[in-house]
Amino acid sequence: MKPNLMPNNQKQIAPKMKQQAKKKRSDRSLGYMLIAPSMILILIIAIWPVFQSFYYSMFDLRLNNPSKSEAYVSYKVNLQTYLDNYPFLISSLEDEVDQATGKTKSELEAIKTNLEKVDAELKSDKELRSKYDEVDEKLTVMEPISEELAVSDLDKEVALDLEKAVINSSERIRELKSELKNPEDVIGLSSSLKDSVITPNFIGLKHYKENLTDSRMWKAIQNTTVFTVISVFAELVIGLAIALLINKAFFGRGLVRATILIPWAIPTAVSAFMWKYLYDGQNGIVAKAFAEIGLFDQMTDMLTTSTGAMFAVIFADVWKTTPYMALLLLAGLQTIPSSLYEAAAIDGASKWKQFLKITLPLLKSSILVALLFRTLDAFRVFDLIYVLTGGGPANSTETISILAYKVMFAQTNFGEGSALSVIVFICVAIISMIYIKFLGRDLLNDR
Amino acid sequence: MNKKAGPMFYVFLIVFVFLVMFPFLWVLASSVKPVAELFGDRAFIPFTNNMTGENYESVFVNYPFLKYLWNSLVVSTITTVYAVLVASFAAYAIARLNFKGKTVILGLVLSVSMFPQIATISPIYIVLKNLGLTNSYLGLIIPYTTFTLPLSIWLLVTFFRKIPFDLEEAAKMDGASPMQTYWRVILPLAIPGIFTTAILVFISAWNEFLFALTINTDDEFKTVPVGIAMFEGQFTIPWGEVTAATVIVTVPLVIMVLLFQRRIVSGLTSGAVKE
Repeated sequence: MKPNLMPNNQKQIAPKMKQQAKKKRSDRSLGYMLIAPSMILILIIAIWPVFQSFYYSMFDLRLNNPSKSEAYVSYKVNLQTYLDNYPFLISSLEDEVDQATGKTKSELEAIKTNLEKVDAELKSDKELRSKYDEVDEKLTVMEPISEELAVSDLDKEVALDLEKAVINSSERIRELKSELKNPEDVIGLSSSLKDSVITPNFIGLKHYKENLTDSRMWKAIQNTTVFTVISVFAELVIGLAIALLINKAFFGRGLVRATILIPWAIPTAVSAFMWKYLYDGQNGIVAKAFAEIGLFDQMTDMLTTSTGAMFAVIFADVWKTTPYMALLLLAGLQTIPSSLYEAAAIDGASKWKQFLKITLPLLKSSILVALLFRTLDAFRVFDLIYVLTGGGPANSTETISILAYKVMFAQTNFGEGSALSVIVFICVAIISMIYIKFLGRDLLNDR
Repeated sequence: MNKKAGPMFYVFLIVFVFLVMFPFLWVLASSVKPVAELFGDRAFIPFTNNMTGENYESVFVNYPFLKYLWNSLVVSTITTVYAVLVASFAAYAIARLNFKGKTVILGLVLSVSMFPQIATISPIYIVLKNLGLTNSYLGLIIPYTTFTLPLSIWLLVTFFRKIPFDLEEAAKMDGASPMQTYWRVILPLAIPGIFTTAILVFISAWNEFLFALTINTDDEFKTVPVGIAMFEGQFTIPWGEVTAATVIVTVPLVIMVLLFQRRIVSGLTSGAVKE
C-alpha cells in the first residue's frame, strides 16, 4: 500500500488514510534511523576497503620502501629525510675535499656544488622555503615532525632535478669509494638522501597485466578451483547421504548433532594443525593408514608430493565441513511433508524415484543455498592451507588467497597484493552472481 | 520422521560418530603421552602406560598460552556484544518496519558477509598501522565488524520475523511508541534468538585467523588460533604441546556445543531454510 496510490476522491476515509500515511512516514524515518549505525559501519569497515584495495592495486606500493610506502599521485619531497641527510652529507663532503687531492678533489667539489645548486633551487620556492626552515629548526631541537609538515608537494621540474642530482651524486661517490677517508659515511648519507624524493608510484593497471600473464597466479587460480570443486562436491554428496540417513527418529539424536557440530565449531587453524599431526610423515596415524591401504607409496608422500598435499587439504576440509552441510540439508529435508512420500509409495514409486521426484526438487533451494555458502567459503580458503601446507610443496596447494597474503606480507608488496585480492573479490562476485541467478530472489524475500 | 531406525542404522551411526571424532580422540590420547612415545614405533599405539601431564604443563609454562586465551576471550566478547547490539536495531527495522530499500539493504548485508577477507585486508592493515592500532585489542575488534555485523543482522532478521505481528499491533493499539514496543514486547521475545546469534558470532570471532595473524603479531596480543598455529620448537614441531593445546581449546567448545546444540543448529539453518 504505497502512499501515492491513495484514492483522493474518497473523502470519508481520507482522515484514516492520512493517519496511516503519517504512520508510514514515521515508520520509515525510524527505520532509516535504526539501520543507519550498521550501514555506516559496514560502509566504512567493509565496503570502503574493497574500493581502497582497488585504488592501491594501481600503485607500486611497498611498505618496506619509504619512498613507496604510500600511494602518491604527484611529486613530493620528504623534508625530514632530506634535512636529516643533506647538511651532514655536505659537511662530510667538505671534509673529504680537504684531504683529497687532484682529480678526486675536483670531482668531489663538483658533486658538492651540484647538490648545493639543487638545494638552492628547492629553497627558491617561498612556501617550500618556510617549511624547509621549520623542519630544520624542529630537527635541531629534536622535536617530532608531523607527516603533513615533512612531506611537501614539489614542482615536477624541481623534483626531477633533485632526483637526478641525488642519484647522480650517489653514483659518483660510490665510484670514488677507494679514494675516500670515510667512504661508509658519505655513501650511506648519499643513498639515504635518495629516499627523500618521492615520485608518483601510480602505475595504472600494470599489476593486473603482470598478474594475468603470471603463471604462478594462474596456477593459484587452478589450485583454488580444484580445491573448491572437489571439496564442495564431496561435501554435498556425503552430506546429502548423511542427512538422508539420519532423517528419522532415533535414540541419541542430540549426541549425534553435537558430534556433527564439533568439527564445525573448532577453529580451522587449530584443526589444520591437528591434521598436520595426523598426516605427519613420521608419526601421523592417518598418513600411516592411507599408506597401508595403498593410497600412497610411503607415509611421507602425504605432505611432500603435490597430489598428496592437495588430497590432504581437501580431506581435512571435507572432514570439517561435511557435517555442517549435512545439518543444513537435514533441516531442509525436515520441511518436506511425509504425506508426499506416502502418496508416492501408494502410487508404487520406488525409493529412488521418490528421491528424484520429491526429495531433490523440494530440496533444491536448500542445496543451492548450502552450495553457495560452501563454494564461497572454499574459494577464499586461507587458514587451513596456511597452517597445513603453507601452500607447498612447490606451490602445489597455493591458493589465490595464500598467494595474495604472501605477496602482501612476506614481500611487503601491497600494490601487487591488492591487485590479487581484487582478483579474488571479482571471482567471488562472479560465483555469487551465478548462484543468485539460480536462486532467484527468494533468498532475500520474507517467506 | 516416522521411519524406524533398525540395528544396522545404529551400527552406521556409531561408525559415523567414531570417524568424525577420531582425530580428536587420537589427539587426546597423544596429548597424555610422554614426548618420547610420540615418535618411533610407539607413535601408533593409542594408549600409553606412562600417562603424563607434562605436555599440558609445558603449554602454560613455556608458551604464553593463558595470555592467548585471555586475548581471544576479550576480543571475541567485546566484538560479540557490540556487533549484536548494533545489529539488533538494524534487524528490527528490516524485519518489522515498512520502508523502501529493505530488500536492497538485506542484499547488501548478505553480499558483505561473503566478501573475501583478503580483499579488505590491505587498506585495513595500513589504516590500523597508521593509527597505531596494530597489536591492540581494538585492532582486531574493528576489522571483526566486517563479518560479525552482517552475520548478526542476517540471523537476527530471521529471528525477529518469527515473532507474531499481532503482539506488536496490540501494543500499538494500547498507544506504545515503536521504541517502547521494541523494548517491552519484541526484545523479551527475541532474547532466545539474540542469544543464539551471540553464540554464533562469538564462535566466528573466536575462530578468526587472517586478521589476527596479520594485525596482532606481538605475543602479548595474539589470539588462540594464531598462537597455536605459531607453536614452534627449537628443531621440530612440538607435537606434545600442540596436541595438549588442541585439547585445551576443544574441550570448552565441546561443552558449549553440547549445551547449546539446539540453538546453534537453529541459528545455522535459520537463514538457509525456508519454512
